[in-house]
Amino acid sequence: MSPTRMDVAETTAESATTERTSGPAAGGPALGPALAAAVGLSLVLAVLAVLGARAERTELRDWVILALVGGNTAILAGFGTVATRRAAGLERDRRAAENEMRASHNQLQELIDHTSANIYMKRVDNGRYLLVNREWERLFKVRREEVVNLTDHGVFPTGLADQLRANDLAVAGRRKPVQYEETAGTDAGERTYLSVKFPVFDATGTPYAVCGISTDITERKRAEEEIRHLNADLEARVRERTAELEASNGELDAFAYSVSHDLRAPLRSLHGFSDALIEDYDSVLDDTGRDYLRRLQSNVKRMGRMIDDLLDLSRATRAELHRDDVDITCLAQELFVELAGLDPHRTVRTRVADGLCASGDRQLLRLMLQNLLANAWKFSAKRPDATIEVDQVDRDGGRFFVVRDNGAGFDMRYADKLFTAFQRLHATSDFEGTGIGLAIVARIVHRHGGRIFAEAAVDSGAAFYFSLKPESGGLA
Amino acid sequence: MNDRNILLVDDNPDDVALTLRALERNNIGNPVDVALDGEEALNYLLPADGAGKVPALILLDINLPKVTGLEVLKAIRGNERTRLLPVVVLTTSNEERDIVESYARGANSFVRKPVVFREFQEAVRVLGLYWLLINQSAAPQRGA
Repeated sequence: MSPTRMDVAETTAESATTERTSGPAAGGPALGPALAAAVGLSLVLAVLAVLGARAERTELRDWVILALVGGNTAILAGFGTVATRRAAGLERDRRAAENEMRASHNQLQELIDHTSANIYMKRVDNGRYLLVNREWERLFKVRREEVVNLTDHGVFPTGLADQLRANDLAVAGRRKPVQYEETAGTDAGERTYLSVKFPVFDATGTPYAVCGISTDITERKRAEEEIRHLNADLEARVRERTAELEASNGELDAFAYSVSHDLRAPLRSLHGFSDALIEDYDSVLDDTGRDYLRRLQSNVKRMGRMIDDLLDLSRATRAELHRDDVDITCLAQELFVELAGLDPHRTVRTRVADGLCASGDRQLLRLMLQNLLANAWKFSAKRPDATIEVDQVDRDGGRFFVVRDNGAGFDMRYADKLFTAFQRLHATSDFEGTGIGLAIVARIVHRHGGRIFAEAAVDSGAAFYFSLKPESGGLA
Repeated sequence: MNDRNILLVDDNPDDVALTLRALERNNIGNPVDVALDGEEALNYLLPADGAGKVPALILLDINLPKVTGLEVLKAIRGNERTRLLPVVVLTTSNEERDIVESYARGANSFVRKPVVFREFQEAVRVLGLYWLLINQSAAPQRGA
């Protein structure tokens, strides 16, 4: 809107100038010859009158005088008419010019009156207002007719007026636009303005006025303040929650430590003393007695493993994540050597792809892979041609590590129970286990921001796919 | 004075009994003195009169009432007379921080007591073999 208005204003000013300059030239060529002809004719008639008088030709002299008076009267009348017309023309031009100026002034006034900013111009020498716009009038309850005799000290409290005056003088001194943030009291309370002030120069290049355009940024400031408050509030809440979490983590830590120590100690006693019974009292025990003691020992062992696995699960949750480049190929090979060492009677074909690398926590990745490989090792135990592979593949548009075996597999209908602690898909009598291993694996994968899923069929092996970083192209 | 005693520091009488059994089953015949908490251990090793005993090996549990195992270890390493003694930290927990802290305070070995007695017995056998036989002659010279 405003550029269009500016264009109109400029065009009007130009045409006004053109008209004014062509005005006086119009009558020039017509008046010159008329004036020359009148003067010439008067001279001729005067000469004739003198000659007539000398010749004492009275009738001729009377005619000549008559003609002279008549002619001059006619010429005077002509000039009078022309002069009157010219005067009327000039008056018309002056009025037109005045109208143009008023129109131009009105346009500017309309323009500044219809903006939401408040605009004002003040003299540099005495600080008196030269003009204000409607918004200014509305805000400060002073009419423009009154304001022209006022300075800031007549409108605002002294402190603020001093500040405004100082700003104005600074702008005049610097001779270029300056931006200020100013605060003024209005009916709507204290408002904050972003004021751009610039000097206005006279023909000699001296700044005689300072014009200001002030935009009310109170709402913006309030919103900013609110955001600052909200942020501070949010930060405080985050700190609070973090402290709570740290406290509960600390409790969990203490709990896990206590479990690790206090639950295992009695188990060790149970196992140790039942072992002593079997050894030292063998002669007084019959087969049933020995069998009972072995059952007791086997359950103690199982409980010991469960406690250890639970502690691993808790550690997978609590441990701080230290990312590092981890050689998965090397890690998998090491773990296969360990597994083979624990179970030397089995023959398992293992294949680990070269150059597998991941960014992750070395300790946790070891714990995760240990569980996954032990899982594959265990569930392929009943196959004479047991094979376990570790590889990396593209699946579902992402890159996944995969641990694949050709073991007992499982029914995909129960796949959702796979990664939940204590959920087992096989009987303990078929495959030993605590039901915690895959929960540990899933917890570690999730802590790395990755994803894990499995594909399997009963008696056709299982494949566990996992990633160790958030998938790209997601909402994040 | 460097007698051949073993000092066992453990507050759990069951564990004490099982450790004694494991030592015995491995034919480690050294006399064993038992301290049931850290304070007792310090009185044994570093009494106020300065005439403490110097065992051949210390088996030290970490979780002890009053003075903890790690504090006992610190005191042992801080005293000229005892600082070279072989100390094996025995613990029930498998917390990494315990292992790290134990070695940081100068433990010579760290053994997590297994639930299964045979495994514990095996661990004790290896410890006895190493600290009471193989390393015995070398121990007094180290760090001197």
